[in-house]
Parts: sequence; structure tokens; C-alpha cells
Amino acid sequence: MKFSKVKLLAGVAFAAMAIAGPSVAQEPVTITVWSIDGANQAGPSDTFSKEFNEQSTDIKVEYRTLKFDEIVNETLRAYATGSAPDIVSLDNPDFALFSSRGAFLDITDMVKNSDVINADAYFEGPLNSVTWDGKLYGVPKYTDTIGLFYNKDMLEEAGIAEPPQTWEEFEAAARKMAKPDQGIYGATLSARGNEEGTFQFLPVIQMSGGSYKDVNTEGAREWLSMVKGMIDDGVMSQDVLSLGQFDSTGTFNSGNAAMAISGPWEIERMVKDADFDWGVTLLPTFKEGDERSSALGGFNLGIMSTTKHPEEAFKVLEYFVSQDDRLFPEFGYLPARGDIELPETGVEKKDAALKVFQEQLKYAKPRGPSPVWQKVSKAIFDAEQAALTGQMTPDEALSQAQSTIDSVVQD
Amino acid sequence: MRRILSSITDGKGFDILLVSLTMIFLIVMAGLPLLYNVLMSFQQVDMFNLGTFSRPFIGLENYQDVISQPEFGLVMKNTAIFVFGSIIGQFCFGFALAIFFMAKFPFASTIRGLFLVSWVMPGLVVGALWGFILAGDYGVLNAILQALGVTNGTMFWKSDPNLSIWAVTIANIWLGLAFNMMLLSVGLAGIPGDLYEAAELDGANGWQRFSTITLPMMRATIGAVLALGLIYTLQQFDLFPAITEGGPANSSSVAQYWAWQWSFKLFDFAKGATVSVMMLIFVLIASIVYVWSTRHEVRG
Repeated sequence: MKFSKVKLLAGVAFAAMAIAGPSVAQEPVTITVWSIDGANQAGPSDTFSKEFNEQSTDIKVEYRTLKFDEIVNETLRAYATGSAPDIVSLDNPDFALFSSRGAFLDITDMVKNSDVINADAYFEGPLNSVTWDGKLYGVPKYTDTIGLFYNKDMLEEAGIAEPPQTWEEFEAAARKMAKPDQGIYGATLSARGNEEGTFQFLPVIQMSGGSYKDVNTEGAREWLSMVKGMIDDGVMSQDVLSLGQFDSTGTFNSGNAAMAISGPWEIERMVKDADFDWGVTLLPTFKEGDERSSALGGFNLGIMSTTKHPEEAFKVLEYFVSQDDRLFPEFGYLPARGDIELPETGVEKKDAALKVFQEQLKYAKPRGPSPVWQKVSKAIFDAEQAALTGQMTPDEALSQAQSTIDSVVQD
Repeated sequence: MRRILSSITDGKGFDILLVSLTMIFLIVMAGLPLLYNVLMSFQQVDMFNLGTFSRPFIGLENYQDVISQPEFGLVMKNTAIFVFGSIIGQFCFGFALAIFFMAKFPFASTIRGLFLVSWVMPGLVVGALWGFILAGDYGVLNAILQALGVTNGTMFWKSDPNLSIWAVTIANIWLGLAFNMMLLSVGLAGIPGDLYEAAELDGANGWQRFSTITLPMMRATIGAVLALGLIYTLQQFDLFPAITEGGPANSSSVAQYWAWQWSFKLFDFAKGATVSVMMLIFVLIASIVYVWSTRHEVRG
């Protein structure tokens, strides 16, 4: 008897609260946001979600952090079972898997009428990665790219005045600076058998006139032979085939490689770890004045087409975009738009490096967009690895990749 | 009514109840997923029909596609190297250790117990450890080999296509060694000691005792160990992402890693299912060997 009394009282209390609630404010709409931000350190999406909740009464953001390796799988599964989030943030080459199938909401018209989001302000590369069939399916969150880091002390010691601007100069400089007996390599990069390998190798294909649909270019073949030669002669470690960009750049920071191909996410660590003078230059080209290219990294934000509250979700998206000027000062990410000035940090090397990367961003090209990007990417990094290990000649490897790509890309 | 009730509490009904519980568990947890997997390998699966059963049937197209991949032959070859290399390595070293620890010396059983540490450790941890050991420029194994003067150059275990599959195999041998040793030790302990004494009196030497007593008496155990080894090796997955990621250029990719790659990296769930159905056939053979070799075991 006692129990039922307590229950009754509780029930009355809840009912009272339920009645009192709506009279003060409307039931808030919940918008779920998925992103990888906040897994290791505070990132933009988790921070902005929290702040949004503090100032909003009618919309509540429910934020969930996922791991990089899991977010595409989780989103696929959630979409298939009808429990997809309202907004999800994906790596730019994974975006087309969803946008091409209409899993993201077409926001072309919403953006046109928006005072906050201006599609024209975005760099071409990032904007391409959220576009499918002429329609806009999301907004770029932030972006990054790759350039060439070089150890100024070693360059000086070898009597090289200027950092290499062509691949020929790159090879010559690397060979001159390598000291195999002291464990010092001339250069390092990442040719790992995953997206990182493609990220660094695709720009070479692009700057030699190719694209992800057309990989067997003369330049790409030349470049593979050049790098293979450097590996065979101990100018570059064979471990570039298994090292990710983070570990590969680590060998540069510790002074065991004189040059490294890597991106702006390394600047912070390099300022701390590298006890030598270093600089960044644009990714080399084949001949002076040739077409430039570089990789395009970074994440996008999109609204899933299954959302029940597209307008509220778009408001959240607008709030995120309105905070873009904080991306760099607070999180070290480069905004994907040209209308935001990056403030000087006062750290000389960092500011100089950022200028180079901002220049490099103009040449950054997206991977894809293609709904079968993952298969294309595997064909590209498999070819790179097969050629660099000598399992195949560059021509064999690239033409095999070409036939795989032809069989999966249908348009 | 009472007869049924009493049969459930004590009698045939009770037996049926126990068996059916197990059967339901097996069917739900293993049988249905297995059938679902086989079904999926004949269908076209994409993100729109992932959550439903009504998917277009495409016959053997998935199988044709998988077989015509340029890396198919390489993956099959690697799987064979990995499976047989691992089983032979685990079995030989495990057997040698088991016999070694049968000898009576101080702390023999304690040290044997310590070997189990490798079996208890999660595969990803073992993979990370071996990743450090097998690293190229700063690897432990290379430092040892160079100090011993075995090699002058650097062996790129993780980046050399001729070494990479062996790198993972070595790690897997280490991982499965303790399991093999324990099972074989149990088998050895089951051989009556007086057989050896009698043979010794008759003048049989060590090798003769091993080949005419130990091996024949261990036949059932050896069959079981090899069959279980095959199954455990075919499901060994953690070491691959942790050590080589199947690279360089698929030179250390095996069927189970490839199946995962199809499903969760390339998002082609049907092809992933296809590769695992192919593996199923191998496991089935191993299971038959296992059941056959343990058929003489006494059952209570």
C-alpha cells in the first residue's frame, strides 16, 4: 500500500511538471549531430553544439562523438535502419557516398535564402566536395592540404640555396642531404596502404594532367620510378609504405629526414618538437610553371535527408558556419572560405607556414566526388604500393588501377 | 499432465529441455547469421537495402567479381601461407615446449603457466607490440639482428612485400604457441608413464619412444589441436590492422582481412559476405577433421 501511495504522489508531481512545462516554453526540437570532434581534444562541432544549447531555447542539440574509423559505418547503419542523425560531419571524400544517393538533404535553395551561408565564399575544391549533380548537399567545415616541409639547417649545410620547386630538384636535394650511415634520410612522405597514401599520391597524378578517373599519366609513372629509385638507394626509407603521415612527419621532426610532405595539422607539433630551423614550400611540380595541384583534406557538414526537422537542422548548421572565424585561433583548423582573415599568431615559423598553406589551398583538388570513392582510392594506393615495392612496373600498376577504376566508376 | 511435469524435472523432458536451449542459442546466434551471410553473397547490397531483406538477387555475380579481382590470387596465396605457416609453427614449437615442460625441473609448471600470458593478451595489443618489434628503421628485431651480425641492412618487415606476410605469421605463431602447448601438455599427461618405463627396459631410445608411444597415443589430441589451430588462424584478424594493414599492395592481405575490407572499408557488404562464404568451406573441412579426430573421446 505504501508503495502505491509513493507512486501516486510521483505521478501527480510529474503530471504537474508536464502541465507547467509547455506553458513556459514550447517543447524544444532535438537535433542530433554526429562528428569525430571531441574524441581526443575539443573540436569545433562539439564546442559549438554546447554553446548553441546555452543560447537556444527552442532547439536542443544532442551531440555524439564518433571515432574516425567508425563514423561512415555508423552513419550507413543508422541510415539503413531509419535512425540516422539530423546532421553528420564526414571526411570530404566520403561525402559523395551519401550525397549521390540522396541520403543528404539538398540545401541549395535554403543556402540561397540564407543570410549566414554564402556558397560563393568557399574555395572551389571544398565546395566541389559537397556538390553533386549541380546541387548543394552540405557545407565544408574546415579544410587542409599538403605542402613540402624542409629542414633549413640541412639545406644550408648541403649548400642548397632555395627549397626545391620541381620534383627533379626535390630528388637532387634529397640525394644530397641523405646520410644513410647516420640514419638520416633525404625525404619522407606517406605511401601507406590506406586513404593517406591516395591523399598524397593523387596530387601527383592531377598535376601531370590526370584525375582520379584517369590515373596512368606519364608524370605519375615518372614520379613512381623516381621515388622507387630513392627507396632503393636508401635516400627514402622503405617504411614510407607503412608509415602514416603523423609518424612519417615524426621522423622529420626528430631530424631523421631532411624534407617531409605533410600538412598544416603538423605545424603545432613541429613548433614544439623540431629543434632546428624549418620552413614550408608549395608541393613541387614537374616543370617550373607547370600546373600545380595538392590534396584537399578536411570535413564537411551535411543534413541527412531523413531528418524530421530540416528547418531547425539548418538553423544549427547556420550557427556552426557563423562561428567559422574561430576555427583557426581556437582549434588550428583552416576555414574552407576565402572571406576569413587568419590572425597573426606571433610565432614566426607558424605564420610563414600558414601563408604557404593558404596559397597551396588554391590548388587543392578534391578526391572525387564519387559515390564509389573508397574503391577508387584502394585502386590508387594499391598501384602506388605495387610500383614502389617493385611488384609491378609503374605502367603495369597504373594500368591495372585504371582498369579497376573503369569497372567501378560509371558516369 | 503430471507425467509431463515430472519428465521435465527429472527424465527425458529435462534432457530435451537442455538440448533445445542450446540448439535455440546456436540457431539464433550462429545458424541464422550464417544463412544470412550466404544469402547476402547472392544479392546486391547497398546502403538503401542494407536494413531490409528484399534485395535484388544477382546469382553468382559477386563470386565472379571477387574471383576476377587482380588481388584474388595473391590473397588466396597469402591465406595459405598464413594458415599453414602459423599452424606448423605453432604446432612444432608448441609440441617442443610441451615435451620440454614434461621434464621434471624446478618451477616447470610455473614457467609453463607464464607462457599463457601471450594467449590472454588481446590481439590488438599483441599486434601493436609486434608492430614495434618488426618496425623497419627503429625496430627491436632489426636491432637484435644487426647486433648479432645476421644482417647489415635494415629488414623492412612491414614494408617489404616479400616479408610482410611472414611478419604477421611470426606474430601469430607467438600468439598461438601457448594454446598449442597447453592442449598438447594435457595430451602428454594422459599417456601412462609405465609405457615409457617398459619401453626403456626393452632398450628403446628417445626417438623410438617418441615415435612409437608419444605420437600414436597423441593422435586424437594432435588432430584436435591442428583443427582448432586452423579455425583460430582463419579468424585471426586483429594482427593485420595492427601490423601491416594487409600491405604493401595486398602482399599481406588474407581472406578474413579482405572480407572486412570489402564490407567496412569499401562498403560493398555483399562482396565481404562472398569472401567469408568462401572461407566457410575451409572452416567446414577443419571442423570435419576436428569431429573425426575426437570421435573416440570418452563421453560420459
